[in-house]
Amino acid sequence: MRSWGYESEAFAVEAKREVADQVLPYRRLFRTVTPDDHLLMHFGLGDETYDRLAALPSRQALVYHNITPPEFFDGLNPHAAHHARKGRAQLRALATRVPLGIGVSEFNRRALEAAGFARTAVVPILVDWKRYDVAPDPEVLARWRGPQTNLLFVGRIAPNKRQDQLVRLLAYYRRCIDPAARLHLVGSYRDQPQYHARLHALARELGLGDAVHFAGGVSASALAAYYATASVFVSLSEHEGFAMPLLEAFRYRVPVVARDAGAVAETAGGAAIVLREGDLAVYAEAAGVIVERASLRERLIGLGERRLQAFSHEAVAAGLRSALGI
Amino acid sequence: MGLSEERLRRDERSRAGGGSREAEQGVDLDALTAELRERVKRKREAGVYGPEVAKALEAPLPGGAPLPTDDGGDPLVALAAAVESEVAYDPRSRKPFIGPALTFARRALIGILRWYLHEIVHRQDRINEAALRALRVLSERESADIVGRVEALEEAKRREAIHQGAVHMDYELFAERFGGLESQVREQAERFVRRFAGCKRVLDIGSGRGTFLTLCKERGIGAYGVDLEERLVRRASDAGLEAYRLDAEEHLRSLPDGALDGIFAVHFAEHVLPGHLFEILRECKRTLRSGAYCIMATPNPSTLTVGADSFWLDPTHRKPLPPEALRFYLQISGFEPVEIETYNPSETRLSEDGLSGAALANVRLLNQTLFGDRDYAVIGRKP
Repeated sequence: MRSWGYESEAFAVEAKREVADQVLPYRRLFRTVTPDDHLLMHFGLGDETYDRLAALPSRQALVYHNITPPEFFDGLNPHAAHHARKGRAQLRALATRVPLGIGVSEFNRRALEAAGFARTAVVPILVDWKRYDVAPDPEVLARWRGPQTNLLFVGRIAPNKRQDQLVRLLAYYRRCIDPAARLHLVGSYRDQPQYHARLHALARELGLGDAVHFAGGVSASALAAYYATASVFVSLSEHEGFAMPLLEAFRYRVPVVARDAGAVAETAGGAAIVLREGDLAVYAEAAGVIVERASLRERLIGLGERRLQAFSHEAVAAGLRSALGI
Repeated sequence: MGLSEERLRRDERSRAGGGSREAEQGVDLDALTAELRERVKRKREAGVYGPEVAKALEAPLPGGAPLPTDDGGDPLVALAAAVESEVAYDPRSRKPFIGPALTFARRALIGILRWYLHEIVHRQDRINEAALRALRVLSERESADIVGRVEALEEAKRREAIHQGAVHMDYELFAERFGGLESQVREQAERFVRRFAGCKRVLDIGSGRGTFLTLCKERGIGAYGVDLEERLVRRASDAGLEAYRLDAEEHLRSLPDGALDGIFAVHFAEHVLPGHLFEILRECKRTLRSGAYCIMATPNPSTLTVGADSFWLDPTHRKPLPPEALRFYLQISGFEPVEIETYNPSETRLSEDGLSGAALANVRLLNQTLFGDRDYAVIGRKP
């Protein structure tokens, strides 16, 4: 936005330490906003701050990153289920006050439409690609590089991401394809301790204790290393508002097998093996074929790299300009 | 052949430059999925994917209730588990210093509210249990009932279609007994073929034995036919004519705008229902080029011996179409002008010999009404 000659600032309630110096506290908005300003509100969980922001005198748009359906948390994490329900109710309330809803995917745009937004558009997430230009962490590389198959999934440990299904898939993979295969689950498990504990128990019960590796939240260089050592990226997630890790996998030249859910197919854009199968064995065999067949692997990597062009700064910026009419 | 050998050859192929060229195309997911399923099937047959692996794939998540999204998870079972589960609340506080006081306060509060909450909770329990029972009853009894009723309806519909179209009747025998003579059919085709002089792509809907197509061929007109009767299509093809076993409407829908320069349909309109005929006419208009003719011939029910008698010989006839009605259908489908041409006069007539004045006029009127032309055609032109 600054490059188009607009004065533009980012505001947040809370910011990660790495970006804290580029972000202003949201309270300042209440003093400084004028009716000519565009206010883009990024919405991914319920928070009463949005009600107050929606009352500000400015041109407004809500950028929707999706909220996981509460049913995924029922019986596992009542706190998360409660917040998801609250967030969805708030989205419906905001629909009557904010004139434009922007989905980061067509899947999200439809959700906005269903919530009651009068005007909607799709603008993909603006990815900071420079963030991925880091050298892979040598320690992680040294630990996992080897002849065995490394199946990788990146994403918070959460019931909607179905890491439990990945553990079951690994059981098949080791029995029927490669007995040395491993599964790396990169992603924070802080928010879902109960699900995390039960995943551990499942892996133990299936005799996969050492083969499933919970990496937790990792640094950018460690992430690069996990992708560098990955044979295939496998996602069995049942709810994705955008599926950013698919693009990361394309960026790091890792072929992708994924279940068709939420925005997965549209983000993959034909550059991944996206399946709608009931039998986990089919997903495992898909990963197996990619490992075995270099031509398929190369083709998927080539398609992935080309797919990234749709998420370049220029492409996303053009989409945003047309959505905002500026 | 060992797996490694196979892999080696594939690697060689991809090194030979296949990789980068192939990257230009997408992946054929259907073919790949079929291959993956086949692999799974083979492993199952070979016993590699045995019962233990199947069990592992279905292994429940230990340490609590199944995930609500688990595949195959029965919502009724989950509901029953939720209804029966105990609510555990531990009022004890472990905070230093104020802990015992908090515990005491919570216990006191629970004690006071118990009398009030007891009734509400009790009633809610009754509601939950009744709802669960109701859902069980509905899911078992009603669904079985619904399935039975839908099946009965489908069967009735199927029988109705059979009876309406007299499917059991040997249509070939019928055509032999009641169908027009080849010479008549040819005469009819000759009457209209001049309208298609010089055309390159004329469609004959219900091309039958291929009489019209033969005539076109003789005159250097490019024509082809569609028909649902496989034997007739084969006969026409064997005679060197272009005919396909296709549904007329589906075929028209598959054509681009302006692809045809003529449509000819003899004894077709009376075999389809009026709403369907509208849709077909709309497609006819779309697929014809500007200035082209759409000709539809059908029995003329304005002649009462046809409308009250011969029309109904064929059990697959749906509704008689008076000439003005069919003309109107073509007009509202966008054809202009639309002419009506009647032909094929009745052989029987009341004699007009020696009559004059009112008697002659009356007999003429009777002849026209009872023994008029037995067929007519509407000839519409796409503007």
